[in-house]
Amino acid sequence: MNCRDWEERIALHAERDLPPHEAAEAERHLAECAECRGFAESISQSLAELRGAHLESLTPADFAAVRARVLAELPERRRPAWRLAWIGAVVVALVLLAALPVKRQPEPTRVAPAPTVEAAIPLPPAPEARPEPVRPRRPKHVVRPRTVHKPAPPAEPLMVRLISNDPDVVIYWIAN
Amino acid sequence: MEPLALLLTANGMESPEDPARTVAAAQAGDRAAFERLMRQHERLVLTTALRLLGNREDARDAAQEVFLRLYRNLAKVESARNLAGWLYRVTVNVCHDQRRKRPETASVELAVLPAAGASPQQELTDAERRHALALSLRMLGEKERTALVLRDLEGLSTAEVAQILGSSEMTVRSQISKARVKVKNFVEQYFRRRT
Repeated sequence: MNCRDWEERIALHAERDLPPHEAAEAERHLAECAECRGFAESISQSLAELRGAHLESLTPADFAAVRARVLAELPERRRPAWRLAWIGAVVVALVLLAALPVKRQPEPTRVAPAPTVEAAIPLPPAPEARPEPVRPRRPKHVVRPRTVHKPAPPAEPLMVRLISNDPDVVIYWIAN
Repeated sequence: MEPLALLLTANGMESPEDPARTVAAAQAGDRAAFERLMRQHERLVLTTALRLLGNREDARDAAQEVFLRLYRNLAKVESARNLAGWLYRVTVNVCHDQRRKRPETASVELAVLPAAGASPQQELTDAERRHALALSLRMLGEKERTALVLRDLEGLSTAEVAQILGSSEMTVRSQISKARVKVKNFVEQYFRRRT
């Protein structure tokens, strides 16, 4: 068997990184191959040297410098998560309120004074055709402003004058 | 106890406070508790960053970014137990981002700890060897280097490395074995050329 095929497995076996069944195979091969034993030894040696070379080259000043730089960048006081959630909820509520359509109160409609209506009505001999009194049109949908609390002034009485063919007969109809 | 939890305990030895309580206090906005969290984990973060980046100043920048991310994401840390894993993962990501943004710097910083009683000639050889080892890490690909640093220098298990990197254990094992062989070959070739 070509020993190059064993290199990666032996490199793992040098630090006990092989699963048990593969480790057993590697052990059997090492027992009969001096070249691979030398390879395993040099792997272990280079790793040991690597570890030694990387031992504590950092000083307390390095740690202190990092700490100081981090603390200098932190805000004065950290807001806990539940406080941030509250602030977020209030902001959302305000935004929703602002987005709602606002109902504007309509301006109060002015009511025109009651008009006087004149109507010409033919007189008897056909007395059955009695005309109905004409009522002035009331403005529709009059919305009274809610803010006005003053008592409304008394409305003028509606007066209807009915003129017949007979100049001596005039009918007045007054409605409250 | 799992290795990550052991590591956390070992790093938190200087403070008798329960790490879970420290996390909870930091989450509640306690700035002093956050500083304690940093002290408990700064060795993990800064050492890993230095091993991945090979440069002290870059490692400091990376560690700063990691702790700022921790501060911003404290609410997502479920417990002190998985904090170490979270920090490893973020440190790896931050270092990868940094390496993509910045060109590799030429200098590599490693410990200079001469052996007691070593001759100047011996010290020079040791320093050269350390330099070669540092270079060997830098010639590895990003994934191989990360797997090797986490497994062989940080001492995590293959399963933990796989979890941190979001890979399968089989993939991580393959990366580690290739990285080990490359490091060994590089160091051997380096010294063969020098002699």
